[in-house]
Amino acid sequence: MNLLASKDDLIRWLDSLLQERIVIAPVRVQEQTMFQPISKVEEIAFDFDNTTLSPKGWFLPPTEALFTVQRDDGQVNLVPALVERDAVVFGLHPCDARGIALMDSSFLQEPSDALYRERRSRTALIGLACRQALPECFCTSMGSAPDDPSHMDILLTEVKDGYIVQVVTEKGKALVPKGLAKYKGKVPTPPKLQAIPTMEVTSAMRGLFNDPYWERLADRCLHCNVCAYVCPTCYCFDVRDYSDKGKVERVRSWESCQSPGFSLTAGGYAPRTTKGERLRQRFSHKFLYFPERFRDVACVGCGRCVKACPVNIDIREVISDLQQLTEVKSGS
Amino acid sequence: MAPESPFIPCLATLKMAIQLTPDIKLLSVELEDPDIRASFDYKPGQFALLSAFGEGEAPFGIVSLPQQRDGLEFAVRRIGTVTRALQELEPGDTLGVRGPFGNWFPLEDYEGKNIIIIGGGIGMAPLRPVINRILERRDNYQELLIINGARTPQDLVFQSEFPTWTKAPRTRLELTVDRGDEQWKGRVALVPDVVKELAPSPDNAIAIICGPPIMIRFTLAKLRNLGFKDNQIVTTLEAKMKCGLGKCARCNIGEKYVCQDGPVFTLEQISQFLEQP
Repeated sequence: MNLLASKDDLIRWLDSLLQERIVIAPVRVQEQTMFQPISKVEEIAFDFDNTTLSPKGWFLPPTEALFTVQRDDGQVNLVPALVERDAVVFGLHPCDARGIALMDSSFLQEPSDALYRERRSRTALIGLACRQALPECFCTSMGSAPDDPSHMDILLTEVKDGYIVQVVTEKGKALVPKGLAKYKGKVPTPPKLQAIPTMEVTSAMRGLFNDPYWERLADRCLHCNVCAYVCPTCYCFDVRDYSDKGKVERVRSWESCQSPGFSLTAGGYAPRTTKGERLRQRFSHKFLYFPERFRDVACVGCGRCVKACPVNIDIREVISDLQQLTEVKSGS
Repeated sequence: MAPESPFIPCLATLKMAIQLTPDIKLLSVELEDPDIRASFDYKPGQFALLSAFGEGEAPFGIVSLPQQRDGLEFAVRRIGTVTRALQELEPGDTLGVRGPFGNWFPLEDYEGKNIIIIGGGIGMAPLRPVINRILERRDNYQELLIINGARTPQDLVFQSEFPTWTKAPRTRLELTVDRGDEQWKGRVALVPDVVKELAPSPDNAIAIICGPPIMIRFTLAKLRNLGFKDNQIVTTLEAKMKCGLGKCARCNIGEKYVCQDGPVFTLEQISQFLEQP
């Protein structure tokens, strides 16, 4: 059953959530729209098309302490990082909720990542259906849709009189304010997206693993890592110790397989020394290794990497090239 | 609330540090918690992540024998900031241990076979518990040939154990160095050439090999020339593990996660990886 929240209802609702939880919402920061913890509802940017970064950073922060090392009289004590408060991520689109579900596959698999698990279980997702599709969007080709409630706790859809409130999970149900009217109107038709054919991308990736295509594609790659930075499903990380003024922390931070040092061993050996091999690693992880481990392709079609890449390496073109090259190979 | 995190190491005390070579130390480490110590089950070939708090964490093979739980041993070569800090620890100092991780050498499957152990430099470290386990159950195996190479005589690891290895029945230890010195009267040759010269038979044999990539590459060629099949050659891969949990993806090679699927693989398995290490 759908409910209706007027714009005022929504603001009051968010205000009350803010009293008891951390609320992470899209905020305009200079030219970017970023998910950030807010201190008042007025900070929220409601009129955004897509956020610059996905909300993955709430669950896997760009940099976070895993524990602190304390020394008292020579006695070492490791103090684990805490997840202190419940939270709500507000305003994420269906593609980003799917991105979180894909990260769950790895981080919640035993032995599960405790901090991630704790944040995940203490955070509710109140999503926003997409009003329009952007030129780089292709979520419908990657198992999602502009109005897909999967992986959300609550999905809101903007209409003339406010927002349709679709409660998806029990966790979401507990957050809905009392007294909202039933929504009896029509649910707006979601925007149409250009579909890209994704058939057999996993077997095409395997078949073309040793193709010269990767070096050619990587010729123009600057290995700036922005694709991994903006990607809702890139989750590789680094772990290091930091000491500052006597405070010692073990810190985890985002890292990318596009960095030359990513897999460099102590003995000086690196399995991927060329840009082509490293770019292939990015697409192999998404289209081959991840689906072989966890079933789904590790891409949600948000289009952020398409928009952000300074040299126009377009994941949609890569998918289509893989399919065409496979056809050419099998035809000859 | 603080979740029980697999990233938090067990605290341990450095009991003893022995200088094995100019840049390699053998660390003997005791886990502080008696319950964890008693339940720390591991097998030859498995690894652990050692923490030098303030510098970081790095993976090392466990080089002691599995029944030895009060003094876990690690051979640490000084090569970066973490290994330097681990080497600078004094007996009584605290360090961290996470593990054991990964698979192991399936030594039970090799019973009744001739075993050839080929190690270069610090590559002997993961092979040491293999040798000692075989010697412990000497009757279960046929001939044991150990080829141990290093850059110079000073760089040969586990020298104090050579007499035991040499005296064991049906066991042969062949040492070789790239460059000798005044005292050295032994072999001066590269490991692959020693393999070629000694020409161990592939019949009913398993070759276990670990060392620098270039030694492995040329040694594999010699073993294949001698008739060894890829399923008779076993190695352990070095990879940059940061988590040991199959999550950080740093040790991902082809479709494998070395920390979870390895580090021990047969050459036959490796040749089927999409990407060659």
